[in-house]
Amino acid sequence: MNIQTLKRYFDVFHVQVRNNFIREAVYRTNFLTAIVVDLIWIGVEFSLFTILYANTSTLGGWSQVQTYFFLGIFFSSDALFTTFFQRNFWNFSDLVNKGELDILLTKPISPIFLALTRWMNLTALFNLFLGAGIIFRFKNEAGFQGGIQWLALAGWLLIGVLTAGLMRFTFSIWIFWTERSWALSRLYYQFFSFATKPDTLYPQAIRRVILTVLPFAFIGSVPTRALLNGLTSYEYLQIIGTLGAFFLINRTLWQKGLQRYQSASS
Amino acid sequence: MIQVDNIKRSFRSVKKEEGWRGTLNLLLKPQYTSHEALKGVSFSIEPGAFVGLIGANGAGKTTLLKILSGLIPPTEGSATVLGQNPFERSLHFRHSISLVMGQKAQLWWDLPAQDAFELLRAIYNIPIPTYRQRLEELSTLLDVKPLLQTQIRRLSLGERMKMELIGALLHWPKVIFLDEPTIGLDVLAAHKLREFLREFNQRQKATIILTSHNMDDIERLCTRVLILRQGSLIFDGAPSQLTRSGLCQLRVQTLRPVPKTELSLWTGISPNAIHYSSTEADEESSEEKPTGTVLFTLEREKIVSTLQTLMSRTTLIEMGIEEQSLESVIQNLYANETQLANRSS
Amino acid sequence: MQTKLNWRIAALKNGLQDATAYRLEFLFEVLGSAAVPAAIQTLFWYAIFKVGGTQELGGLKYEDFVAYTLTSILFTQIRGGDHDFELQEMIRSGGLSNYLLRPCGAVEFVYLRGIAPKLLIAALSLGVGLAIGQAFGIQPGHLIGAMTLALIGNIIHYQIGAALATTAFYWEEAYSLLMVKNLLVSLLCGELLPLHLFPSHLEWIWKSTPFYLYVYGPTQYALGRWSNSEYFFHLGMGLLWIMAGWALVNFTWRSGIKRYLSLGG
Repeated sequence: MNIQTLKRYFDVFHVQVRNNFIREAVYRTNFLTAIVVDLIWIGVEFSLFTILYANTSTLGGWSQVQTYFFLGIFFSSDALFTTFFQRNFWNFSDLVNKGELDILLTKPISPIFLALTRWMNLTALFNLFLGAGIIFRFKNEAGFQGGIQWLALAGWLLIGVLTAGLMRFTFSIWIFWTERSWALSRLYYQFFSFATKPDTLYPQAIRRVILTVLPFAFIGSVPTRALLNGLTSYEYLQIIGTLGAFFLINRTLWQKGLQRYQSASS
Repeated sequence: MIQVDNIKRSFRSVKKEEGWRGTLNLLLKPQYTSHEALKGVSFSIEPGAFVGLIGANGAGKTTLLKILSGLIPPTEGSATVLGQNPFERSLHFRHSISLVMGQKAQLWWDLPAQDAFELLRAIYNIPIPTYRQRLEELSTLLDVKPLLQTQIRRLSLGERMKMELIGALLHWPKVIFLDEPTIGLDVLAAHKLREFLREFNQRQKATIILTSHNMDDIERLCTRVLILRQGSLIFDGAPSQLTRSGLCQLRVQTLRPVPKTELSLWTGISPNAIHYSSTEADEESSEEKPTGTVLFTLEREKIVSTLQTLMSRTTLIEMGIEEQSLESVIQNLYANETQLANRSS
Repeated sequence: MQTKLNWRIAALKNGLQDATAYRLEFLFEVLGSAAVPAAIQTLFWYAIFKVGGTQELGGLKYEDFVAYTLTSILFTQIRGGDHDFELQEMIRSGGLSNYLLRPCGAVEFVYLRGIAPKLLIAALSLGVGLAIGQAFGIQPGHLIGAMTLALIGNIIHYQIGAALATTAFYWEEAYSLLMVKNLLVSLLCGELLPLHLFPSHLEWIWKSTPFYLYVYGPTQYALGRWSNSEYFFHLGMGLLWIMAGWALVNFTWRSGIKRYLSLGG
């Protein structure tokens, strides 16, 4: 990996973004719906918590504004993931089943990189702004310091995207071994609902799971806690360890899957 | 440049039966069926050659191409392309080859070709002035320059194929694998494509390996022909070698259909070299229903004596002599491999 | 008359075979998609009430919510599938032409193929519900009535989807529109939340759509929270919706196909 290579990857990424933009400009209806869908979703989550807080003053140790702040962070992180990666994971099974992976394998660039940058949903960036708006609105009341913490916030958003990507990859990779992996994809999205609520809400047993093996809490809860209260070094280690483990597991699964793909393909 | 040594390739697939028992069996004791796609193929190709790869569906053509382009490994034996093992898929290797599969699109159809090519430029790291010059050349040669701004989706099949081809050649590969590039194209478009490929092969000295069912492709472009049958290479040589041999076709129309055995007995020509016209015969069975029109494959010198024999035994309505077409040569090859051994030596 | 029935039966058979080709997987998938969301939802209620310390929500207690979530499992699997996506894809890719040449209606054909596995699931759910429902105070009569309502909901859902799919005749694709529809439906049908959590001044939102008939209505009736007269009222509403749906589908498809044919498919 040298400067030349990095430059080339950046160049390819740039073209992919540009091409997606051109493509999306042609299909204008998608523009509207991506926005409408997320607006409704945000509305529902907000309403849910409003109803809940009408009956109690704290939920899992968080006040109403702190939960709203959490929602802002969660939505921003999710918006980034939706923009850049979601559709590529949706199409992952096609890549393998229809043999489109072959074309990627003959190119002098990482096939995973090509696969994960192929489809983008640039209109979903609107939701990033929405999420940012929510963060802005509630940050002061929630106790967000501002200043250098904005950099930390950006960093946490990236960690959220990385977490979602790594987990989604682990759920999608099984397409190399079975044709009907959409059940696993659906399972992922069902578990994903854990990410939409503060983790402190759940009983200990569940909490332990969503902070380690299925780290959905990294997408919204942990960043919020980190930004408002700070984390212990142990928790930082936990995050690095978990993401590192996921990365290694995914890499092995990919290599094994590719081997299988190539030995089975006719 | 390309060296293939006794490569074999077999595929193992799991047998799944219907019903509950089938699913349980799958978990407990799965049963496999093995299919040998390539049974020991060897050949070598020099740089700049234009090679045609022929075979029936399932003969192993696509498998061979995939092995040579590095997509799948051979089960046994070795292949070397540009001095490297293709399966290692080194960066240098991937920069130098190109694979075009007729049925699988490589470009983004929602974009104009112009923009779709940009991605390839970035992937192959082609300097912009070089890229522009090559695009100019290729699109002019293929007559699609005015179409570069149109969404690929809206182009006709022939135009789309041309765009795919341009996309495949932008990085000026040294070895090009084409899997059925003219499939679905009309006569004119196929012709244009062929001209272009010939031009590219001669100018850039690129090695091209082409599979096709279209005999015109093979006859007009290839300096060398490899014929695969059920995983084995049954012919390796120039196309002219196939048709040169002094054999031709005698076509006669008899008043009444005569069975092959009788014809063979009369003329001394092996039943394998006798075919009926307009019948439905599959490769497996040698049973052809006798019709009035018979085709004999024989040496020129024997024509007169054969005609004399036929006229004395039965009534002939019509007769004609034809050069043997490449297609019928190949059909004969499928029917009788041993004739080859005699011919090519 | 024979042919009319024949292709319909064939469509049903085809749909059933398609879904149950791998029977073990089929069962797993159904159980999975029924049980997992319900489990997660119950967990959520547990978190809110037991861990969070909430006593009641919208006038209902923890047990009510859990009962609702678990009972709704019986109906969430029956509610409409994504066959309207199939229709819009057929229009977009031109595959519709095949159906126009055959003596059967494309809309009905796709529906029958899709409903077949659902009917199987409905039968299974009914069986399970009747077997263990007694222990939870679910009356058999109510359960059967509830299942009927859910099946009516399935038809309405498909009708709406089929009507929306016709936008594919005019635009490039109806995909996004159908996605929005699905989102709205999942909110307003009661599979995520019991609809009586809606504040009273917002009740009109879900009452003016037929979506509540998919899951919310059947669950309420099965649990005995709706009286018989309420049930029959909503059943009547459902039938009215079906008639309106039928008219809508007829109209939109007739106009759409005219345009489709005039453009050469």
